[in-house]
Amino acid sequence: MSSNNDMDNFIALSAVLTGFNANILRPFLDPVDIKSEYLQVFFTRIAEESGDPKLATNILAKFAQLNGQTNPKLNDQQIGEEMLAPANGANFVLACRKLIFMWYSGAWPTIIPASATAPETTVSEIISAKSYTCGLVWQVMQSHPMGDSNFRYGYWAKAPIPLSDYTGN
Amino acid sequence: MTTQNYDLVIVGSGVAGSIVAYQLGSQGKKVLILEAGQEVPADRSDYMETFFKANAKTPESPYPPTTQDPSASTQDNPLGLPDPAKENTPRYTVLQIGAWRNPRQCYFDYTAQEPNLSPDSPHAKFAFASSYERIGGGTTWHWLGTCLRLFPHDFELKTRYGQGVDWPGGAKFYDALVPYYEQATQHIGVSGDKQAMDKIYSEFGVSSNGQYGSEYDYPMPGIDPSQVDNSFNVPPVTSLTVDDIAVSITPTPQGRNSLPGKRRQCAGNTNCIPICPIQAKYDATVTLAQALQTGNVDIRYRCVASNIRLDDTTHEVSGIDFITYDTQSGIQTGSGTAVGKKYYLAAHAIETPKLLLMSNKNKGFPKGVANSSDQVGRNLMDHIMYLAWGLAKDPVFPYRGPLSTSGVESLRDGKFRSTRSAYRIEIGNEGWQWAANDPFTTLADFVFGQDASQTNGSTINAQNQPLKFDSNLPDNAQLFGAQLVSTLNGIYTRQVRLGYLIEQLPDPDNRVELSESLTDHLGLPRPKITYRVRSDYERNGFVSARKVSTEIFQAMGAREYTTTPPAPVFSGDPSKETATNFEYQGHRFTFYGAGHIVGTYRMGDKKENSVVNVRQQSWDHTNLYMGGSGLFPTVATGNPTLTIAALAFKTATHILEDFS
Ligand SMILES: Cc1cc2nc3c(=O)[nH]c(=O)nc-3n(C[C@H](O)[C@H](O)[C@H](O)COP(=O)(O)OP(=O)(O)OC[C@H]3O[C@@H](n4cnc5c(N)ncnc54)[C@H](O)[C@@H]3O)c2cc1C
Ligand code: SF4
Repeated sequence: MSSNNDMDNFIALSAVLTGFNANILRPFLDPVDIKSEYLQVFFTRIAEESGDPKLATNILAKFAQLNGQTNPKLNDQQIGEEMLAPANGANFVLACRKLIFMWYSGAWPTIIPASATAPETTVSEIISAKSYTCGLVWQVMQSHPMGDSNFRYGYWAKAPIPLSDYTGN
Repeated sequence: MTTQNYDLVIVGSGVAGSIVAYQLGSQGKKVLILEAGQEVPADRSDYMETFFKANAKTPESPYPPTTQDPSASTQDNPLGLPDPAKENTPRYTVLQIGAWRNPRQCYFDYTAQEPNLSPDSPHAKFAFASSYERIGGGTTWHWLGTCLRLFPHDFELKTRYGQGVDWPGGAKFYDALVPYYEQATQHIGVSGDKQAMDKIYSEFGVSSNGQYGSEYDYPMPGIDPSQVDNSFNVPPVTSLTVDDIAVSITPTPQGRNSLPGKRRQCAGNTNCIPICPIQAKYDATVTLAQALQTGNVDIRYRCVASNIRLDDTTHEVSGIDFITYDTQSGIQTGSGTAVGKKYYLAAHAIETPKLLLMSNKNKGFPKGVANSSDQVGRNLMDHIMYLAWGLAKDPVFPYRGPLSTSGVESLRDGKFRSTRSAYRIEIGNEGWQWAANDPFTTLADFVFGQDASQTNGSTINAQNQPLKFDSNLPDNAQLFGAQLVSTLNGIYTRQVRLGYLIEQLPDPDNRVELSESLTDHLGLPRPKITYRVRSDYERNGFVSARKVSTEIFQAMGAREYTTTPPAPVFSGDPSKETATNFEYQGHRFTFYGAGHIVGTYRMGDKKENSVVNVRQQSWDHTNLYMGGSGLFPTVATGNPTLTIAALAFKTATHILEDFS
């Protein structure tokens, strides 16, 4: 189960891992509220897939500890590296990577392991109609979700606004 | 159930059926449309919702019947494709191409492959690569909107180039079609750049003195070219020649609003296929609504035409039998016969011949209605597509604007046509979405350390260029944070894609027949398809397309990422059989469908070798007319729908003439 505290950590961790500013992931006015859907999916799916009901909580706790560290204070890059360090265990790291994928695509990924004839691939399942349009992939390409644009006629003939306006960083 | 007597009974409410209904209804004729699919929804939000939720954003993904159900997926049905035997209006979908040998997942039935074929054998059979819709308003729900005319030379392929057949009347056919092209362009509301098209027209034997039509111009100014278009429209590219013809980049005339008008102005949702959220793009529901507003047109939805009845003495059509249902997998709820004075078939190029072939119980017509020539179902064609993709050297900002705004039209005709297919090249604004299922493939690569996009490994392309996007990264890099942002941004904003619409020749053995064993839920036989890419003419078109793409990418300084498909498999386990790969002259190709299903009840000037005459009227039954791209004797080089619309206006004139 998740709490307010979980949400704070979830957003801050997501900001570190995705490279988007927390204010973009959790805007001040947030009628869409995709973060709540994601937090829920993250907790459920990670528990299911790892067989460890505590894994998601442990991930957030580990993040909170790194984030709160003051001596020395860690920057985002260092926190991200610590979170994704192999020493945390394969399930832990995979869960963090799935978190990145979810924010970017609005979908939950499943990894199909390599076989004798094909390399490892990813398939994914869209979480909801809302999540598809919230995917950060559209922001990172300085565009809009396919099928959901707030732009006006002819915008495509001009260069987009800077990437930093999309990521908030 | 019987229907009251109508002047005209139409099968199908796509662009062809709706135009004829509108034209006849406007002239006070009483019209009934039988439409197999569900009604046009009051608004498109449900379709949008289905689209957003779909895992595979195929052209069919927003529309009923549902194309996939992930919760129904099993090992041998990973996409959860529904069983066409349990659906009342199944139709072929892009997802079924991969499952083409499995009739529990694929609507079409296919004949067995001959044994021991070589990888380059012209006898190899393939999955058909294009799909269509069976819903109110038909397939233009998910068309791209490209609105090109065909050219006079296209209508005399045999006379000029010794290939295929001529259209009835040859180049004169074009002259007769000009006023109807005008009408179609006005009706659809095409945005186009007259000056740019004038130049192309004059190169292809269309003179401006009258042949454009007296008032010729597009109703709306051309759609602004995209940044992607501009990256191609540079002298190193435009100084290239192909078989002595210069490559020139032209804005594409499109059925989408460049100005606010009867529909909204295009907002660049980059989603024309599969669904325009704001209906800035024309679709046939616009015409259908106008037809219904005449007060003279009735439509019956969920009403599947199943048999055409003939009068034994006059051989005229006396009625069309239909079956009704309520829900897609529910039971048949009724049946009846629609009676009119005249009949117009517009169920598109697979379902129309299927209906004609199913109607085989009439005296004197054992091979089906309108089929004394044995041409019904034959000469199935498509624009066979070759895709090529790459990364531009600087950002070009794809995924913005309509899916395509410009193309190369200058290569659509020339002397080369005596030895190889002509093609037009479409420039895509949707990055590698079609080519590589992006943005998701590249995303997965850099999150999980895979290399399906080839940007995250050590692959070298055929030009000996390394494909890794950032040479400072290790192979199979796994990124996060700022580095993930900058890498994805660098790749996504540089993605370019070319699509070649390669002309296919009419081949009588490429055909639609009735399956002997497979049926849909209403008990109607499913289409059996035989489809080959058989002639050197077509295959030479692929060789040219491959070479030209590489030259274009090199000229613009882009790096080519087009993948070489695996070797084709034509024998052994049928589930592993190649759907759309072949070898030719030592190269391997994958082809894609353009959605242009053409040629299965062709027009001609002789009863012996065609199904309808130049008035789109059956040779065998004088009160039966047909519409759609099934009429086309050859596929030519332009996307078909403007010609379908022009022919529908023309047929409407003939039907009205025949009433008076
Ligand atoms: C992805 C895609 C992109 C495309 N892009 C372009 C483009 O850019 N430019 C272009 O020119 N063309 C394009 N096309 C092609 C274009 O969509 C078709 O040519 C056009 O829609 C065909 O119109 P139609 O009226 O002949 O048939 P349809 O629109 O298919 O209409 C046939 C109707 O008949 C109904 N029907 C079928 N069987 C029965 C039956 N037994 N009883 C009653 N009703 C029946 C169907 O439900 C349907 O409503 C594209 C196609 C695809 C798939
Ligand atoms: S670009 Fe968008 S708004 Fe314009 S026609 Fe296509 S889907 Fe509609």
